[in-house]
Amino acid sequence: MIGYILQGMIWTVFITLSSFAIGAVIGVAVAAARTAPLIIVRGIGRAWVEIIRSVPPLVWLFVVFFGLAEVGLMLTPLQAAIFTFGIIASVYLGEIYRGGLATLDRGQIEASRALGLGSFDLLTKIIAPQIFRTVSPSMVTYGMGLMKDSALASTIGVVEMTFRANQQAQSTGQGLAAFAIVGAAYLLLSIPLGALARRADTKSRLKYVVN
Amino acid sequence: MDIQTWFGYVFELLPGLVTAMQLTGMSLALGFPLALAFALLIDIAPRPLNWVVIAVVEVGRGVPLLVLLYIFYQGLPQIDIVPSAMVAAVAAFTWSTASYATETIRSSIQSVPRGQLEAASAAGLSGIDSFRFVIMPQAARIAIPPLMGLAIIMFQLSSLAYVITISEVMQSAYFLGTKTFNYLPVFLAAAAVYASITIPASALVTSIERRLARHV
Amino acid sequence: MTKSELPYLSAKNIVKDFGENRVLDDVSIDIHSGDVISVIGPSGAGKSTFLRCINLLETPTTGVLSIGDFQISIGEGHKKAGKKELSTLRRNAGMVFQSFNLFPHLTVLENIALAQRRVLGRDKEEARTRSMELLDRVGLKDKADQYPGRCSGGQQQRVAIARSLALDPKVMLFDEPTSALDPEVGAEILAVMRELADDGMTMMVVTHEMSFAKEVGDRVYVMVDGRIVESGPPAQVMSEPEHPRTKQFLSAVLGR
Repeated sequence: MIGYILQGMIWTVFITLSSFAIGAVIGVAVAAARTAPLIIVRGIGRAWVEIIRSVPPLVWLFVVFFGLAEVGLMLTPLQAAIFTFGIIASVYLGEIYRGGLATLDRGQIEASRALGLGSFDLLTKIIAPQIFRTVSPSMVTYGMGLMKDSALASTIGVVEMTFRANQQAQSTGQGLAAFAIVGAAYLLLSIPLGALARRADTKSRLKYVVN
Repeated sequence: MDIQTWFGYVFELLPGLVTAMQLTGMSLALGFPLALAFALLIDIAPRPLNWVVIAVVEVGRGVPLLVLLYIFYQGLPQIDIVPSAMVAAVAAFTWSTASYATETIRSSIQSVPRGQLEAASAAGLSGIDSFRFVIMPQAARIAIPPLMGLAIIMFQLSSLAYVITISEVMQSAYFLGTKTFNYLPVFLAAAAVYASITIPASALVTSIERRLARHV
Repeated sequence: MTKSELPYLSAKNIVKDFGENRVLDDVSIDIHSGDVISVIGPSGAGKSTFLRCINLLETPTTGVLSIGDFQISIGEGHKKAGKKELSTLRRNAGMVFQSFNLFPHLTVLENIALAQRRVLGRDKEEARTRSMELLDRVGLKDKADQYPGRCSGGQQQRVAIARSLALDPKVMLFDEPTSALDPEVGAEILAVMRELADDGMTMMVVTHEMSFAKEVGDRVYVMVDGRIVESGPPAQVMSEPEHPRTKQFLSAVLGR
C-alpha cells in the first residue's frame, strides 16, 4: 500500500511544479495589468484578480473540467488540473510580484528607459533580479500551499497521492493507515520547502551594498 | 441559457450555502478558542506537552484539508469510530482553522512592543494581569484582520466538504449538473454564490483593518 | 530634612554579563530616603542597565539588592525572586521610561488606574479619585478621557509620571525621561521632576540633562564602561572633576 500511494507523489509534484511555472510566468502579465498606466487596464486586472480569488479553487476546477467540456473543450483530468491551478497561481503570484514592485525604486525604470533599454531587458535584467530577493520567501510559501491544493485534483480523477490513498482506503478498508501515510508524505514533502523558505527569507534580509 | 433559468440555478444552491455557512461558523467557533489555547500552550507549557501541541499544529497546517477530511470520515472507521459526515467535517475544519490561527495569534502577541510588557511589569502587575489587560487587548487588535481573512478562506474551503457527502453548495451543484447536463452554467452559478459572500466580506475586512490602524 | 541612618535603597556589587560582555562591573550605590541621585556618563556606559537592575527588569548576574525591608541576593546558589517579592519590589520602585510606554488601548485615566486596582486592590472609585488628583498635579486634568495617541510627547510623559506615582512608591526611577522629547518639552518634564524632588521623593535619574544633575541632584554618579568612576555633590563632580574619564566626558558635553 505504501508503495502504491507514494508513486502518486510524482504526479503531486508534477502538478505543483507545472502549475507554479505557468503561474510564475503569467503572473507577470497580471502584475503588469494591475500596475498599468491606463485605468481601464488596471480595472480589468483588479476585477480578474478579485473574481479568481473569491471563488474556491474546487469550483474553478469543476468549471474547467465539467463546464468547458460542454462547450467542446475536453481536457483530461491532468490537463484541467494544471490549467486551473496555473491560472489561480498566476493571480496569487501576480499579487506577490506587485508587492515586490512597490518596494522598487521608480527611478530605476526611468533610468533604464532613458538608456533606451527595451521592455524585455528592463524586466529580466533590472526589475526581476532586484525584487526576486524580496518576493522569493512569499513565492516559496505559496508553492507550499499550492502543493496542498494539488490534492484537489484527486476529485476529478487525477491519480496522484490523495486519489491513490482514497482508492486504497475503499478497497482494503484500512482508511486510517492509507491517509496517515499520505498525510505523512505531504508533511515530508513540505520539509525541504520549509527549509528553502527559511533560506530565502534570510537572504531577503541581507542588504544590498551600495557604494 | 436565459438569465431566468440561471438565477433558478442560483436559487437552488442557496440551501447548500446555508449548510456551508453553518459548517464554517461551527469550525470557527471551535477553532479560534482552540488556537488561542494552543498559542499560549506553545509558549507557556513545559517541554513534552508543548511538543505535542506543536505537532498537532504542524500536522494541521502541513496536511491538505482534503486529506484531513478523509482521515476523519474514511480513516477512523478502521478503528471502529464512525463519525457522521457533519461531525467529521467539523472536526477536520476545526483542526485546520486552529492550526493556521495559532500562528497568527502567536505572531500578533509577539508584535506588541516590548515596552508595554516592561511598563506593566514595572508597575507591579502580575504576569497574568499584564497579559490580560495590556498584551491581549493590543494583540487582539493586530490579529483581527488576518483572522477574518482566515475565516473567509475557511468559508471557501467548505466546498471540500462535498467529498464526504455534506450537502453544501458543491454537492448541490454537482447533482444539479447531472440532472440538467448544463454543467457550465451550474458551476458558474456556484461560483457566483461563493463570490457574493466572499467579495463583500473581503471589503468589510479591509475597512475594519483601516479603522483599527487609526487607533493605535 | 532629616535623613535616616540606614540607606533606603542599596545595591551592592552588581555585576551584569551579557554573554561574554561585562556590562556592569561591580557597581554599588546607597540611596537614603529623600535623596535625589543623578547618573550621568557616555552612551553604553551601562547606566540604563544598572537602573533596570534596581527594579529587576534586568536580572543582575550577581549582586545584592535591598529596598526598604526587601532584600535579595542574586547569583549562583541563590533562589530566584518569587512573583510576590517582585510585585512588592516594583510597587515601591516606580519607573518612568524614555519611550513613555503608555498603554495605547486605555484612556489616560485608565492608564493610571489600572495598576492601582490590580496591584494595590483599590476599588474603582478610589482609583478614579486618586488618578484625577495625580493628573491635576501634573497639570493634565482635562486629558483624563483622552487616549495616549491624542496626546503630545510631553503630555504622555507627564501621564507616565502620574501612572508611576499612583502606586505611592518609595523610590522613583527615571530612565532618560527627556531623551525622546524636544528640549523645550523636556524642560517641562524636568520641572515636574524638580517639584517631586522638592516634595521629598527619593529619586534615581539616569539623564543626559546636565542642568538637572547640577541643580536638582543631591549627588551625581558618573558611570563609564560599566563602572562608577566618580561620585559626589554636583558642585564638586561637575565643576572640579577628578577622574580623567569624568573630565573627558564633561568636556565633551560642555555647554549643556
